Formats: sequence, structure tokens, C-alpha cells
Amino acid sequence: MSENENGDNKLGKYTVIASLVSSLALVGLFASLSVAVNSSRGAEVYSKVDIIAGMAFVFVLSMIVSASVWPTVIENKLKME
Amino acid sequence: MLLTKIILKIINPTTQEKISFKISGMTCSACAQNIEKVLLKDEGVSSASVNLPAEKATVSYDPTIVRPEELEGAIESIGYRVVKESITLDVGGMKCAACSQNVEKVLKKLKGVDSANANISTGKAYIEYNPSFVTVAEMKAAIDGIGYTASLPIDRKSTEDREKKERELEVKKQRNNLLISVAILIPVMLGNMKGMFPSLLGFVPVFFSDRNVLFLLTTIVLAFPGRQFFVGTYRGLKHGVTDMNLLIATGTGAAYLISVASSYLDLGPGYMHNYYDTAVMLITFIILGRYLEARAKGKTSESIKKLIGLQAKSARIVVDGKEKDIPVEDVQVGDIVSVRPGEKIAVDGVVIEGNSAVDESMITGESIPVEKNEKDIVIGSTINKSGTLKFRASGVGADTALARIIELVENAQSSKAPIQRIADVVAGHFILIVHILSLLSFFFWYFVGYEKFNAAFYSGIESPFLFSLLISITVLVISCPCAVGLATPAAIMVGTGKGAENGILIKGGEALERTLKIDTIVFDKTGTLTKGKPELTDIATTSKHSEEEVLAIAASAEKGSEHPLGEAIFMAAESRNIGIDKVDKFQSIAGHGIKASMDSGEILLGTRKLMDDNGIDISSVTKSMEEFENQGKTAMIVAKDNEVIGVVAVADTLKDKSKEAVEKLLDMDIEVVMLTGDNRRTANAIANSIGITKVLSEVLPEDKVSQIKMLQDEGRIVAMVGDGINDAPALTQADIGIAMGAGTDVAMESAQIVLIKNDLRDVLASIKLSRLTMRKIKQNLFWAFGYNSIGIPLAAGLLYPFVNKILISPELAAAFMAMSSISVTTNSLLMKKSKIK
Repeated sequence: MSENENGDNKLGKYTVIASLVSSLALVGLFASLSVAVNSSRGAEVYSKVDIIAGMAFVFVLSMIVSASVWPTVIENKLKME
Repeated sequence: MLLTKIILKIINPTTQEKISFKISGMTCSACAQNIEKVLLKDEGVSSASVNLPAEKATVSYDPTIVRPEELEGAIESIGYRVVKESITLDVGGMKCAACSQNVEKVLKKLKGVDSANANISTGKAYIEYNPSFVTVAEMKAAIDGIGYTASLPIDRKSTEDREKKERELEVKKQRNNLLISVAILIPVMLGNMKGMFPSLLGFVPVFFSDRNVLFLLTTIVLAFPGRQFFVGTYRGLKHGVTDMNLLIATGTGAAYLISVASSYLDLGPGYMHNYYDTAVMLITFIILGRYLEARAKGKTSESIKKLIGLQAKSARIVVDGKEKDIPVEDVQVGDIVSVRPGEKIAVDGVVIEGNSAVDESMITGESIPVEKNEKDIVIGSTINKSGTLKFRASGVGADTALARIIELVENAQSSKAPIQRIADVVAGHFILIVHILSLLSFFFWYFVGYEKFNAAFYSGIESPFLFSLLISITVLVISCPCAVGLATPAAIMVGTGKGAENGILIKGGEALERTLKIDTIVFDKTGTLTKGKPELTDIATTSKHSEEEVLAIAASAEKGSEHPLGEAIFMAAESRNIGIDKVDKFQSIAGHGIKASMDSGEILLGTRKLMDDNGIDISSVTKSMEEFENQGKTAMIVAKDNEVIGVVAVADTLKDKSKEAVEKLLDMDIEVVMLTGDNRRTANAIANSIGITKVLSEVLPEDKVSQIKMLQDEGRIVAMVGDGINDAPALTQADIGIAMGAGTDVAMESAQIVLIKNDLRDVLASIKLSRLTMRKIKQNLFWAFGYNSIGIPLAAGLLYPFVNKILISPELAAAFMAMSSISVTTNSLLMKKSKIK
């Protein structure tokens, strides 16, 4: 395997991991905030469907965003190394 | 350090790579040695060999230590140039600015690609590359790999045919998609609305509101007409690139999925309503936009199609006295071509027999047919109007004037104006920014806005998720990167095309932009402001002789002369049908004039000195002489039998339209400067007669560049208009070089604007065209940026808290988006109706 291919593989792997982690973190934040709002009000502001569907939507959008942002960041990092 | 390198070599012996560079600028073996030396100085280079005749350097190097770009830099640092190869690939499937960015990005990632410029309007990618690193096949594969199609243009005609077919296919495809979408949209809309207004829509069959029917119909729309967005998104994501398909797929996909879920799952309160109509309408509006855009895009490249369509298909050549029809591709330089009245002249050539009027309007824009006689040049693809002509082919295939014009216009249309950089930067990050804004809007309305602004009450949507989702989808679908991406190329295509139709060839976006800033125009005098050929202008006589008599004697004496001044006198007599006498003896006296013997007597024609030397009194014509000379004319005394009979004046006369052109340029607040090698008196006389106040006279050809530089040093943006070989360096030095059509190939190569006709008013027209095109580009960019900057915040619900709970629905957003890119294309097309002359 050439050095370039190796670099591309690394970049791809790191991008997927970083995107998943950041998206899941945002989904976690979304879910926690929703639950926190519900608990603080004592009444259900967000239904379970709202929260689950919202988590799915946030995950999709944040995956799109992070999959666009991370490659550049990781590529620069790899170059610096 | 050395030890480390040796160890590295032993551990990893395969790190050596070989690379070749094509180099220009080498003149002798010393150059080759210099290059070898500088390359060998680089750490990591193990061998360097330069082949002078092949102009090629081959280098063995260690890529872990030195990069190829550094090797290139080393060669260029000592004054040589690494020659890059360039290629234009036809790229299919580019639909928006993000697509062209993706193509450029994937190409630039390839080792050896120096620059890549993809144009969505032309569907082409112009690439500069080093063939040692990357092959055309690799570049094509890279483009294919991200979901577009790349191919090599076969030849212009077949490319044109293929492009036409592809465009027609695209229009047809989008029309069919649109028809399906509209046909399904009607029942879906009625079905969805029946639930909301049952009494109003009582006529709508009940099954239209059935969730299974709605699901089925919407699925058909998404699976067939809408398939392109999802397939495009998938292909892009697979290779890490995003385009506007993703925006549409995310928006419609979210509306569809939530509708399916609310139809078949018990999602509880707030999820009774579904959004099938939203998904179908989004797809329908966007397809409507694509359909209209595909139709409009074809029109932006109409001018180049027209030029290609001008090419003749066959030619009639004369072989052994017999005429033979052959395909135009088979005509060779030197062939004798015959062309009858009404026929198209097949290739470029020089007339050897016959005379005729030729309609050159398709090339020069000049509507009046041009008279062609023996030795005149004919241009391929023009139309022979009246007589039969035979000409010797001098330019065939890619060397015809038309082929060169087409190439020039094509290159110009693929070029980018510097102003486009802003659009490129925005388009490059557009999709990402829109998704971030969409996500932020979702968070805001979900956690804050929905409750704070009582959205449940005003919108009737009981779920905060659904309300926020609709806003988020609206943000995605209202944003239009297409308008941003099309703003500049669409205007450049129409502008350069319009120029070509009028005999004005502008070599690219940069030239257009620079022309706008011109504040000074320098005209080379000879051949540009003047005809470049002396003509008889005045005759003064003594009391005993008539003008006709003086001219007849002068012309008779000059009959045998090859001097341009003599030719001018002879031609003037001929045009006035004045009889010429036979000359017995003719003697040219260098620098002074001529002496001739005729039946009527001894004739002397020339300077004061010539007359003085022969003891002739010139006092009777001194006043006229001075008068003519003050006007910048060359005055010659005519004497017969040692008695002065008159004076003839010859001058390089101004072109008919020079004065008009200069006046109009002055009206545009552009300073006009005349540059000439003539003496101050002659130069001032000519300049004054056409209203030029700034004159640079007695300028040697080699000093023209420094004169332009001096003007530039004064902070002026200078355009230089010229036609000769000696104008070429000045044309290059000027901010904008304008070559006149009758000029040399060298001048045309050096200029950024080429005027095919020899009409100075075209200088004015080219400035007007540049201003018009730049105005359109700015309008387009203003519209595209303005639309997105206003549309996106509105879609995000910015007005909702403040103005009557106003929200844009996703359907309306899709309609706005579709109209946005069409309006940019249409605005560019409006240029076709503007007058530049």
C-alpha cells in the first residue's frame, strides 16, 4: 500500500470516528436538554416521539456538518505530524 | 544526519522516484547544466539529467525528502519555465456551484494537477497538469469517482452535437419528471387539504385522503422524479463531497419520513397531520427550476454554437483543371478552391482569379459586403455574394480564422473573472453553512422559539419537533448555491459570445474586469488611427497650371516608382481617371525625389533641396509647402522644364471613424493618448485634427513599452490599441492590449481584446461590452447573495416573533429557490438585447 493510500485510509477512518463522536455528543446534548426541560417543568413539554425524532434529525444534520468539517481539520493535523 | 539518511536508504530502498519536467527557455547547453546543477543542489535529488533538444529534465529523487513542487520551484528560480500540459475535459452531471467546486477539488487533490477550473455553464473542466505525475485517465477516473462523467472532447462538431443531444436529453428528462410530479401533486394536495377543509373540498374523492394512497403517490414522486437528488447525494457522500442535492434530499427526505411515521405509527398528539404534499411540492418546484434552467443554459452558449455552425461542410477544389467536391476536412494548404455566387467560402485563402463581393458579417459583424479581387484574402465560412472566385487555400482545419476565433471564445468562456473568487469561496462552503444554520434554527425553535412565541397556538402545529423540523427544512430548501455559482460564468458566456458576434474577441473574465477600470487609452498612430498607407491629400498649383495637369505630370513621372509616396500619387491619378504619359527616362534620387523625361519635357518631383540643386526658384509655392507641412503632410514640388508648376501633398490619412471614436472615448472620461514615431509637428497636427491633446511623439518602436510604463507609473490604468509586430510588447505591458483586426498574429497573441474589424468604434464597443458584462455579473452576484442573505433568515423564522407570525412554508421556499437561479440566467441572457454599438 502506497503512502498516499495509507494517508487517505487514515483520514477516512479518523473522519468517520470524529464525525460519529461529535454527532453523538450533539445528539446527547439535545436529548439531555429535552429531558432536563421536561423535568424542570414538571409537565411534558417534549413527547418521547419529539425527543427521539429530534435526536434522529440532529444526528443526520450534525453528521453532514461534521463530515464536511473534520476532514480538513484532520488533514491539517496529519500534515503537521 | 548522513548516517540517518544512509540507514533510511537501507531500510527503505524503494523511496526513489523518477520524474520528468518539460522545460522552456533553454537556449544552450549551459542552460541545461545550470538546471542540472540547481536540481542536484536539492537535498533528496540523486540524479538530474537535462535533454536540451527534447527540452526535458529527468530527475531521480526521494519523495520523503523533497517534493516535486520544490523541484519545479528550483528550475523556475533560475529563470526557466516548467511547461505544463493542459487539457479540457467535458464534464457531465454538474448542476450547481458546489458541483464545479467538487470537480475542482477532486482534481486538485491529484498529484501533478496544477490548476483545475470547472465551469458549470459550459460543462467543461480546464486542467493544467504535469503528465509525469498524472494521466488523463486518472483525472477522468477521479471525476467519474465522485458521480460526474468526464470525457475527452472528440472534435468541436461532434462535441457540439453531443452537448446538444445531452442538453436536449436533460431538458426532456426534467420535463418528464415535471409532468409526473405535477400529475401526482394535484391529488396529493387535494387529498391532504381535504382533511383540513372537508366542506370546501367535498368534491374530492375520499380515497385521495387515504394514507396508503398518499404514501404510494409520494413514494412514486420520490422514487422517480426525485430519485436524482438522492442518487446524487449518495454518490457525493460516498466520496466525501456535498452539493445542493444534499440540501434537497435532506429537506424532502425529512418531510417524507415524518409523514410515513405519522401515518403508520401511533406517535401521539401533534402527529396527526402528515407532510406528503410538502415533500411532493418541494420536488415539483425544484424540478421545475431544473427544467427551466436546463433550457436557459443552452441559450447562454448559443453564440459559440452559431460560430461552430458557420463552418462549411464541403469545398470544391480544382484538380488538373477539373472541379471536384470534397469534405472541407480534406482541403490542404495550397489547394485551389473554387466558389460560386451564393456559396460559402470553405477555408481561408488568397484570391487568384475573379472578383466578387463577400459577406463577412458572420465574422466581422460588418453588414456591407466586402469587394474581393486578386491577391485579396478571403476568410473561410464567409459567403460569396456575386461573382465566381478561385483562391489558393492558406488556412485549413484548426488554422482558419474561424477555428481560431472559436478557440479563443471557448477559452474565454471557460475563464474566471477575479470577481468570481468571492463567489467561489462562498459556494465552496455554502452547503456546510446552510446545514449549520438549519441545525441552529432547529435547536432554537425546538428549545426556545416554539414555546416563547406560542407557536402551537399560531401555527396549529402541536409538536415542537414538527414545527422546528419544518423551519429547518425551509432553511435547507430556500438556500440556492446555484445562483451564486451561475452569477459570473453565465454573464461571461453571454458577454463574450455577444462580443464574438460583433467581431470583438475578449480573451477572458480577467480582461473584462480590467477593461472596466481603464482611464487612459493609448493609440498607436500608424495603421490604428490612420490608414497606414499614404494618400494624396492636396494639390497646389501656380497660376498657369491646373490641378489636373500637375497631378497628371506628377503621376506620369511616378509611374515606375515603388516608393509609397509615389504610389499614392499614381493611385490618386488613376482613381480620378487622369491620363498618364509615357516616361522615357526615370531616375530616383535617394532622399530627394525623382527625375523623369517625357514627351512633354523634363520633370523633377521632390524636396526643396532637389529644386535648389537644379537651380529652380520655388518662391511661388513656398507658402503652400509650409502650410501642408504644418498639417503634418509630406509636400513635394513638381517642376517641368526647370519651372515650378505646383506642389502635391501626401499624408497617411486618418481612418473615417477615428475622430468619432476619439470624441466618444473623451465623452466617457477616458484620456486618449496618441503614440507615434513621427516628429512633434506632424504628430501634433494629426492629433489636433481628431481632438487628441496628449501626444507621445518621436517614440522609437523599442520605447513604446517604456512610454506605457511611464503612464502606468502615474497611476493610470492603460489600454493600448495597436496592430503591428512592434506594438506587441506594448500591448503586453498595457493593462489591456487591444489588437486591431488587420493587425499581425503577434499583436493578436499579445492582446487581451482582438477587434476583427479594422474599425476604431469597436474599441468603444469593447469597453461598453465589458462594462455591460461586469454590470450583469455584479447584478447577478448582488441578486444571488442578496437572495440567500434575505431568504435564509426569513426561512429560519426571523420575522415570526415580530411581524404577524410570518413564516415561509417549505413549498414556497422551494419555489423561490427554483426562481432564483433562473433569474440569474435570464438576467445574463438579457444582455443579448443590449446595444453595444
